[in-house]
Amino acid sequence: MQNDTIHLDLAELTLEGRAALVSCGQDVKRGQRIAISSSPGLGDLHSPVAGKVEHVDPFRIRIKADGEGEVEPVELNSLKGEGLLAALRELGADLPMAPSLNTLIINGVDEEQGIGSRRKMLASHQPTLERGLSAVQAIYAPAQTVLAVLKDSEHSLAGTASVEIAAKYPSGLDPLVALAATGKEAPEDALVLGLETVFQAGRIMETGLPAMETVVTCGDSQFLVAVGTPAGAILAKSGQTPKDRDRIVLGGVMRGTAASSPRQGVSKKTSAVMLVKNPTPVALDAPCVGCGQCVQHCPARIDPSMITSYAEFGMYDKAEAAHIDSCFECGICGYYCIARRPMLQYIRLAKCELAKAKAQAGEEVAQ
Amino acid sequence: MRPLQPLALTVSAPPHRHCGVTVRGRMGNILLAMAPAVVMAVASFGVSGFRVMAMAVAAAILTEAVCDKFMDRETQIHDLHAAVVGLSFAFLLPASAPWWLAAIGSAISIVLGKMVFGGLGGSPFCAPLIGWAVCRLSWPLFMDLDASMLNVELTYPLAQLKNFGLGFVSVTDLGQLFMGRQLGGLGAVQIAGVLIGGLYLILRKHISWIIPVGVIAGALITAALFNAADPNVYAPATFHVLTGSMMFGAFFLATDGPSSPNRRIPMLLFGLLIGVMIIIIRVYGVYPDGTPFAILLASLFTPVFERIRPKPFGVR
Ligand code: SF4
Ligand code: SF4
Repeated sequence: MQNDTIHLDLAELTLEGRAALVSCGQDVKRGQRIAISSSPGLGDLHSPVAGKVEHVDPFRIRIKADGEGEVEPVELNSLKGEGLLAALRELGADLPMAPSLNTLIINGVDEEQGIGSRRKMLASHQPTLERGLSAVQAIYAPAQTVLAVLKDSEHSLAGTASVEIAAKYPSGLDPLVALAATGKEAPEDALVLGLETVFQAGRIMETGLPAMETVVTCGDSQFLVAVGTPAGAILAKSGQTPKDRDRIVLGGVMRGTAASSPRQGVSKKTSAVMLVKNPTPVALDAPCVGCGQCVQHCPARIDPSMITSYAEFGMYDKAEAAHIDSCFECGICGYYCIARRPMLQYIRLAKCELAKAKAQAGEEVAQ
Repeated sequence: MRPLQPLALTVSAPPHRHCGVTVRGRMGNILLAMAPAVVMAVASFGVSGFRVMAMAVAAAILTEAVCDKFMDRETQIHDLHAAVVGLSFAFLLPASAPWWLAAIGSAISIVLGKMVFGGLGGSPFCAPLIGWAVCRLSWPLFMDLDASMLNVELTYPLAQLKNFGLGFVSVTDLGQLFMGRQLGGLGAVQIAGVLIGGLYLILRKHISWIIPVGVIAGALITAALFNAADPNVYAPATFHVLTGSMMFGAFFLATDGPSSPNRRIPMLLFGLLIGVMIIIIRVYGVYPDGTPFAILLASLFTPVFERIRPKPFGVR
């Protein structure tokens, strides 16, 4: 399993809203915590290599691998419930809080076409997944656990019932998988965990060390890589060379993030590294021309044209009233928009502004 | 690891793939879909038909460019929407329309039907219909198909029906009507050409089939009801569908994006309303062909229809 691994000289870790705990020039051990999470559902961040911190800014930490040493493994076997949750999150598992849970859904379906990372985990890392599964079951104590797998695939996981998901985008996205598993839209007593989170929990349980690996798809192959491995190195491994004006996408082409440089590292949730060549269009700062394509294709049955227009003009409360919360960010509206508006960006902007306003209002009430 | 060269990567919001249809592509396809009717119109009306169309298209494009200049913004005439507006407006004019009528009407379509609302996508109305309505009310004599076309042998069946009654309509053969042997809007009456273009747009998924089907169904049903009440006074349903600008309106005007609803049930209701209104105007109104006013009226109802919508995902 290790022969796919890519040797790491330089790791770049994306903070994604975590607060850095290290400063430039500091020596870190492998597995040392370098950033702490302040949002529920996001674990802390650890250095995948021993070395020296080369660069820290609000978005990323870069570590040069030229040191030695590794943190001591943590003893986890005696823990369960909230204690285990806290310990695992501290060790980097992206596990959310969930008080009472009826159904725990493990999403083993790759979100988009052309990604095979979760399939690869199911095929090659069964023991780790089982270990991770028993850990998350010990945390959430669900009445039942369901594994979502691709239709006609043979994969299963001991201790779970399987539900088959059609191989058609966006069926593999968490909210639609939850619908398929429970028969309800946005069920309150169910939680969907991506398979990579279970895998990472399993690695933590096995080694007692923080989560520092994930499986990514690049080209036709899957690689088990350290978190923070530069996207460019993974592309090089699969024989692809980015050229000027290409896009390196971390994740799938419908939802993934465009990397700012080939050095940008993969995160724990990155499922793929893709190279998108020109002439794929870039979004334009254009007004909605009212063609209605986005409305007709939106799987959440909302009106993306209105919502993005509200967001465009800062009318976030109206976007909320138009049910922006129902959007699960599949990107389909942007795919079809004939004006090439940056639909998903507007939607995320509005969601972010609404969350900020809510947090502020909460603080004021608390005072 | 070998050092990675500095690269100028493109960054952009997802999705990183696009269906490939652009505004320009869509408008280009609409122009292409209008081509058969253009050819038939030139065959039928000769140079005078061509002259009106060329004038209207040129005036529309020029007007939009001038508006953009005054509005101090980058012009979007390359998206071809102005050309579509101009040609659609010309399709509704008689071939005898004087050059100034084509130019002024087309300019009004762009100014009052599009630019005052901020450009493409802002207007609650289908732009060419605004120009048509203004001209129809301001210069009825020149817009009046019968009076202005006395020198051609073609007849205007809808005016004959309105003014003299069903017995005086000279062409009732559906095949003749289908091939455009009638007066009316110079392009709109090229029923065969319009139908070919409309089907092309539906097959290429540039327009949805729901609105055209709604319009035609609404008109057929209403006309059939009248016809059943008294076949000697009211024309048969098929006659209505194949005359005037009903077909052109159904495929090209009613399907205008911003002024029509976007969801299925509202689209169907919108289409049906247009179809019903066309026949009611033709039967009771003062205008022989009710299509433009029916569509303008239905556009006013678009926000009402749009209130019929499914529950968003996960909302209880
Ligand atoms: S991203 Fe767009 S299409 Fe997808 S759910 Fe959200 S609004 Fe709808
Ligand atoms: S697809 Fe784009 S242009 Fe069309 S209605 Fe939606 S936002 Fe407007």
